[in-house]
Amino acid sequence: MTDRYRRHHDLRLAALEDEGVILHLGSRSYFTVSESGVLIFEALATPHSVEELVAVLQARYEVNAEQAEASVRDFLERCRAADLLEIEAGA
Amino acid sequence: MPTPFLVCDDAPLRASLTAWLEKGGLAPSTALTLVVQVGDPPPLDADDRPVFHQPDVLIRSGPPHGTLTLSWERAPALAEIAPGTQTARVTLSRLAVARLQECTCTFFMAVLIFLLRRAGWHHVHAGTAIDPAGRGWLIAGDSGAGKSTTAALFASHGWQVGTDDATFLAPAGAQVAAVAYRAPIALRPDAQRALGRSGGIPVAGRRKAAYWPEDLGGRWAPKVEPEIVAFTSVGEGPTRAARLGARAALAQLVRWSAWVVLEPDLAQEHLDLLARLARQARSYRVSLGPDLFTDVAGLPDLVR
Repeated sequence: MTDRYRRHHDLRLAALEDEGVILHLGSRSYFTVSESGVLIFEALATPHSVEELVAVLQARYEVNAEQAEASVRDFLERCRAADLLEIEAGA
Repeated sequence: MPTPFLVCDDAPLRASLTAWLEKGGLAPSTALTLVVQVGDPPPLDADDRPVFHQPDVLIRSGPPHGTLTLSWERAPALAEIAPGTQTARVTLSRLAVARLQECTCTFFMAVLIFLLRRAGWHHVHAGTAIDPAGRGWLIAGDSGAGKSTTAALFASHGWQVGTDDATFLAPAGAQVAAVAYRAPIALRPDAQRALGRSGGIPVAGRRKAAYWPEDLGGRWAPKVEPEIVAFTSVGEGPTRAARLGARAALAQLVRWSAWVVLEPDLAQEHLDLLARLARQARSYRVSLGPDLFTDVAGLPDLVR
């Protein structure tokens, strides 16, 4: 079973030299994100699995699969806690 | 020609609102219309969208129907801006008309802010100035952050000053311009004393007196292209400035541009404009100390 993630439809993103700020229009709050966070958020414009996001990170950075997966899962968990994600449960 | 174009059948009300609009000195190229009628505003009981609170003004926006509504808390008054239009339709009760000066300062100002969003002009709670070297400044911060005192001090030393409080960011080619809403600089008694000023224009309902930049020895700057953005606070020690990166600057600009979270269709444009400004300008967190009163030139030196 593979969950797929996409960014919440109420989010708006502004990238600045690879860093960025995310606005959540629903909660009327904002968040700053790192360069890798921007990369993941841009990918999350469409649904992605953890494995696909790991591939996105590895395509940009020299990082092994274990490190990349740990980063992705940590990032997704923090985003989920802040209600920044929509999750499609895998079949 | 004031902007927006005003439609109002009540002649005295139309004259007052025209004078208010002309005073503000704003002239975007997009045609905007403000339709004002006197009557009983319709109730908003059925509108259960989340309310965004501003001083004396309640704002509802977004789905399902997308019409922006603003209501005044001090007397019945309602404004509506339908999606995809550049027209605000305002219904003012007689009670609201009787309190028109208050109503323009809060309710109509908020209506104007949202109408100007339709022209691509986005509000930020900030002052503007041009220093003697010709550099544009945006000074952002909350009430009590020293914006007005700093603006008055700048004007007293011959700087050009646009506003101490209400600025609209607008695209200007590849740059972002900061357009000033023209209003006199309102000072608290302690700021007046510190600046050695007396008199001024009494500000109704507040223990403040206001001064035009020209009254203080400066000039009015209707538009500035900011090279420096200062996020100010008032401190006890010497004036200090710490450079901010673009991400931190953008987060601060979002903070002082509260309307950015409203109206999904316009939020990205507003956010993109703030991001362009964060790239364009050098940003600093500035703690304003008492030494500023004796050494205004020290502040530009801190951000060279």
